[in-house]
Amino acid sequence: MAYIPEGAPCAGRIRTVTFGTGEGAITLGGQNAMPLYGFDASFANPPRAGIAVTDLPPENLPELTRFYEGCETMAQRAVRARERSGADFLCLCFPGADPGGANRSVEACTADAVAAAAAVDVPLAVVGCGNLQKDELLLTAIAEALKGRNLLLFAARSENYQRIAALARDFGHKIVAQTADDVNLAKQLNIMLKGVGVSYDSIVMNVGTAAVGYGYDYVASTYDRIRLAALEQSDEDLQMPIAAPIYADVWSVKEAVAEEADEPQWGSREERGICMEAATAAADLTAGADAVILSHPASVQTVRRFIRELMEGGAD
Amino acid sequence: MALKGIDVFKLSPKLNCRECGFSTCMAFCMKVAQGDMSLEKCPYFSADAVEKLQRQAMPPMATVKAGPHSLGGETVLYRHEKTLVHKNLFAVAVCTRVPREKAEEKLRKLQSIDYTRIGERMQVECVFVRSHGGDEARFAELAGQAAAAGRCVILHCREASCAAAALEAVGSSAVLDAATPDNWEEMNDLARKYGVPLGVWAPDIQQLYETVRNLEQKGNKDLLLDVTLDTAAKTLRNAVLVRRAALKGGDRTFGYPSIVNIAELAHGDIRLQTAYAAMFIQRYGSVLVMQDMDYAQALPLYGLRQNIFTDPQKPMKVESAIYPLNGADENSPCAITVDFALTYFLVRGELERSNEKVNLIICDAAGMSVLTAWAAGKLSAESVKKTLENLAVERKIRSRILIIPGKVAVMRRQIQQALPGWTVVAGPGEAVQLPQYMKEKAYLTAAHAAAQETAAAQKEQSGEYTFQELLERLPPIHHEDLGVHYRGRAPGSRAFTVIGERIHCISPVIRRAMDERDPGPILKRAAEQIAAGATYLDVNIGPAASDGPERMMWAVKLLQENFDSVPLVLDTANQKAIEAGIRVYDRTHGKPVVNSADAGSRRCFLDLAAANDAVCIALCSADGIARDVGERMKFCHELLERGLHLGMASDDLWFDPLFLVVKGMQDKQADVLETLRLLSQEGLKSTGGVSNVSNGAPRAVRPVMDSAMMAMAMMQGMTCAIVNPCDSRMMETIRSCDVILNRVVYSDSYLEL
Repeated sequence: MAYIPEGAPCAGRIRTVTFGTGEGAITLGGQNAMPLYGFDASFANPPRAGIAVTDLPPENLPELTRFYEGCETMAQRAVRARERSGADFLCLCFPGADPGGANRSVEACTADAVAAAAAVDVPLAVVGCGNLQKDELLLTAIAEALKGRNLLLFAARSENYQRIAALARDFGHKIVAQTADDVNLAKQLNIMLKGVGVSYDSIVMNVGTAAVGYGYDYVASTYDRIRLAALEQSDEDLQMPIAAPIYADVWSVKEAVAEEADEPQWGSREERGICMEAATAAADLTAGADAVILSHPASVQTVRRFIRELMEGGAD
Repeated sequence: MALKGIDVFKLSPKLNCRECGFSTCMAFCMKVAQGDMSLEKCPYFSADAVEKLQRQAMPPMATVKAGPHSLGGETVLYRHEKTLVHKNLFAVAVCTRVPREKAEEKLRKLQSIDYTRIGERMQVECVFVRSHGGDEARFAELAGQAAAAGRCVILHCREASCAAAALEAVGSSAVLDAATPDNWEEMNDLARKYGVPLGVWAPDIQQLYETVRNLEQKGNKDLLLDVTLDTAAKTLRNAVLVRRAALKGGDRTFGYPSIVNIAELAHGDIRLQTAYAAMFIQRYGSVLVMQDMDYAQALPLYGLRQNIFTDPQKPMKVESAIYPLNGADENSPCAITVDFALTYFLVRGELERSNEKVNLIICDAAGMSVLTAWAAGKLSAESVKKTLENLAVERKIRSRILIIPGKVAVMRRQIQQALPGWTVVAGPGEAVQLPQYMKEKAYLTAAHAAAQETAAAQKEQSGEYTFQELLERLPPIHHEDLGVHYRGRAPGSRAFTVIGERIHCISPVIRRAMDERDPGPILKRAAEQIAAGATYLDVNIGPAASDGPERMMWAVKLLQENFDSVPLVLDTANQKAIEAGIRVYDRTHGKPVVNSADAGSRRCFLDLAAANDAVCIALCSADGIARDVGERMKFCHELLERGLHLGMASDDLWFDPLFLVVKGMQDKQADVLETLRLLSQEGLKSTGGVSNVSNGAPRAVRPVMDSAMMAMAMMQGMTCAIVNPCDSRMMETIRSCDVILNRVVYSDSYLEL
């Protein structure tokens, strides 16, 4: 009895969303198969690896300090990252804006963003500091200042989506709808955004992140359920591409943070962090992320190699 | 995988010859699928069809043992569909070409991976020993060394002589990963001879299929499938198609665990191997072979594996213990939270970030989150007190400051009362606020305020009273005519029984009224519910640790004396309160109802009901949500047996299948409905909190969702429920269903009656 392998495309398709400008613009999504299943349907757009560039110089991370040596401003760090990390896009991050930390002003952060954007010509994403009120002000200011750059803004939450919607409508950027490991909330936020005039071609989802080993089961199952609904049931309200900013989760866990003196058996701290980041990124890509955002250039290299191998090595 | 009639029919001869005794093949096939008829009754099924059908009746994927470890046995492609069953194993590869010292160093190193993570021991379970051909002696030697290291040895070779030599050296904790389309017969013989599972490889999926079929036909079903091909993409394709064919395609030929040689896919690049391993942990790799395993790789990969292979229905728990953080000692303050792994990691992480010395105490809360545990009575003043006792905290730690999670600040006073020697303070509402809270030493200011409050409260505190004394100490019962009268159920009526849920301490209005013994709000709600048609009123006095009996006695008398002895459902986790309530209960309209017992730690509530001639609402669960219909019915039968044994009538047990929230548990609603159907079929009474279904949904949505569930539940035979009688849509639905089910005679005005 001959065996005929079943490879079949899914009924539904992930939408495409493009951010960045000109030839280098990146398009995410477009596939009609479960993640990385190039045998079910040919790949539409490859998943992408971005690198996080922060407004404050990297602290407590000697490996990153080395990489950014000689860079004093965010713009200089952006150039360094662009030239040497191999990342597909940059993510401008503003931990310095945290009211519980350095509490940098919206003006200062925006100036940094403008300078960094002027120094590089790659697609850009923007992430705030994690404080809801501050981020709304900050991302709005940056959206306005960088109108026309078609940014990917990690801005919308259920608490503020009405105001964030304006950033897409008025300044032409793409919005990331952010929820935490909850299929129902993710769907609902997309519907609410549509209700205030944001087209589904302008929405990317961040459905929750975690370092592997730290409740990753919730992330994995949320991704699986959303992808299955989008692809097998053609659920239009869940067919957005997914972006996963994992760097903050990864570099704050014990495995990446513990000093070698405290855990001599564990070996090099830098290597631990890189493996934790590579493993988490690969897990997210397997589960359905269309873009991952990392901190360490070595992780970026590994992840890009991973993506390339899975895109190209499938021919029979 | 249950056989469907139509699947049998597809393979049938379709002759309609009637020799089996049925008039059509379809009828015969339906009976076969139901298990009421044997396939053999039909002489015209082809041998192939018979074999295929036999296979379909078996589980889709075999469980195979690699040494002491079980692999396979999966039934779903994605963990949320049910659960994954056997975690993958890790192997480190050693090959015959590597110099002796290096090989020995590798074996030593892999043994150094040995640690515990959330109660699970993490080790490299296997060694993958690789032959390059013509290296019998070295191969056998390496295999022997790997076995001596106490690991399951995976022997990778293509020559029978190598295989034989190694198997001699190794014994039975091994896998022979050697069969190909060219040599499967001799490898099969060797595997059978030594009693080890056989790994099968082929250059393409077609040949893999045929080789497995050949082996199965020779009687060997102790197999693993080596799905490794020359690229990661092809290997992924192989792994997915194989698993999909087994679990979805109904073809058991591929129903075996897999081997993925990641070391070969990315030799020399351990970071890329780590990424591949993360992928194959999630996508169907059963044995993952790595070139190396240092802690840098082990920590993320074992963590991921642990997460992916947890049963989604069973939360991960950490051990109940004292965890000193940031160099905390006996003088450092204590913070207590639950044993749900996620909570633990979150809280611990934030406390460590604060750099303040604190003793983190984890209490046993059945793995629930803070709020869930509190609502379920698993996090309470008693449980906190018990934890401190079990962990001998007072002996080990001098500090007497205890910080409780801000989310359950309402419990602070009760916990304080239970722990008079301590100063109990509430922490911030969110874990992310902990670093600031700790740095500012906010707990000290709170401690000061708490101490003053405790001193005042202690002046009022008195010893325990007897029932009679409690009765006498009750405030006089307020009587008021609100123009509403409870008429009672018409004898012999078959109409649905409505238990009104609105007198519940989760409502701030009611909680305050209970605290202050203020009759107004309680009487108002009771009147509204009775006017809307409630048959019973549920009275929830909250966990009420300190004054439960007085509260319940007061509430029972208040309601019954004002509303014509309206029958009540007594709802609290405090047993003494229930007992006291029953003692003052007026039985004019029947027995009091105890809410609720379960098959776990609340069994004693059943005993209480039995001892006091009361009805008991019995949850079909044991300290948590039952995993499926089967488990619910098991608990139901346990409780039924116990109740009958204690002399209760089966009609006095009202079984609750535990209605679940749609938000997040859509896929479990069918279980609840099926349980109701089975209860009804067995002639047992059922009830439940239907409005659980719409928990968390917007206000406008709740009545719609709840009413739909009510109709479906009534269809399945439920005859009583705890609902909001003031939800007019709900009541209309109930009345309509009563009419459709022919329980109440229809009239055009049936909605207004």
